[in-house]
Amino acid sequence: MSTLTKVLIVLLTLASIFLCGIVVTYVANADNYKQKYDKLFDGYQSAKENEDNATTRLNNTIEEKNRDTEKLKEQIASLEGQIDKLKGDLANAERERDDANRKVNNWAAIVMDFSKTIENNEKLVKDALTERDLKEAALIKMDKELKDTTAALMENMAIVKQLQDESKRLLEEKTELQNKLDLYLRQYGKAIAEPMPVTPEQEVVTLAPPPKDIDLSGSITEVDMKSLLAEISIGEADGVREGMRFHLTRGDTFICDVVILDVWPEKAVGWLDLLQEEQPQVQPQVNDRVSTNL
Amino acid sequence: MSPVVQSRGKKITAADNLYTVILAVAFLVVLATAVFVAYQCYTQYDTIFKIQ
Repeated sequence: MSTLTKVLIVLLTLASIFLCGIVVTYVANADNYKQKYDKLFDGYQSAKENEDNATTRLNNTIEEKNRDTEKLKEQIASLEGQIDKLKGDLANAERERDDANRKVNNWAAIVMDFSKTIENNEKLVKDALTERDLKEAALIKMDKELKDTTAALMENMAIVKQLQDESKRLLEEKTELQNKLDLYLRQYGKAIAEPMPVTPEQEVVTLAPPPKDIDLSGSITEVDMKSLLAEISIGEADGVREGMRFHLTRGDTFICDVVILDVWPEKAVGWLDLLQEEQPQVQPQVNDRVSTNL
Repeated sequence: MSPVVQSRGKKITAADNLYTVILAVAFLVVLATAVFVAYQCYTQYDTIFKIQ
């Protein structure tokens, strides 16, 4: 074997070892492209699936959004209708509120007037009750006097009756004596002279003119049973005066009397007297007739 | 395989079997490299030569 061949063998061997080392190093350090491809492909597939899912969800979301938009439009239209209706109701409520406020103010004024009227009526009732008490006291006094007078009258009547009996007896005795005297005097042609009354003749008494009826009549316009007051339809212009007593009737039924307390030109107010509280059906009512004479 | 003892005064040279062994080593190295490369191709691409 020649030296050149030996040298070539040695060089070939070294070159082979060197190149093989390079190849092994390269192959050992080379990237696994298939693995990378598979990984990237799997990522691509998953990304594509995600894209499809996202597209599907997007479409569903868009459809749902469209449906929601339609629903919201319908709700908006409905709510606008309700808003218009509520505006109308609000306007009506405001009008009713204004009317109610006006009514409240009117009623407040009426209540204040009624309060004043009630105060006046209470004062009138108080005065009337005071007057009634005074009159009842006077009436009791007069009743007592009447009883005394009646007792005295009965005594006097008994005395008068006794005197009449005695006068009758004396008159009979006188007649008998006159007859005897007449018989006695006729024997002598004489007669009895006309007897003169012992007591002087009484003067003629002039009768007082009969009382004249006032004859006022009207009707009940308002009754307040709590305070026992009534208002009649005639007043001072018709001749009504304070203290007058009117008889309150319904048809042929007597209800009570109305004693006038206060008089206005066209009306008068009085308290109810002789009211029969035990019979509710004969309570005074509006349009009952009042008159000064039954 | 033992070295041939040359005659006295001559230069000592290696036997030819030594170069055969060197060639065998080179061949084994190349073969091992080829096997390694094939193994790597098969494990990584599931084939040795075919391009998918």
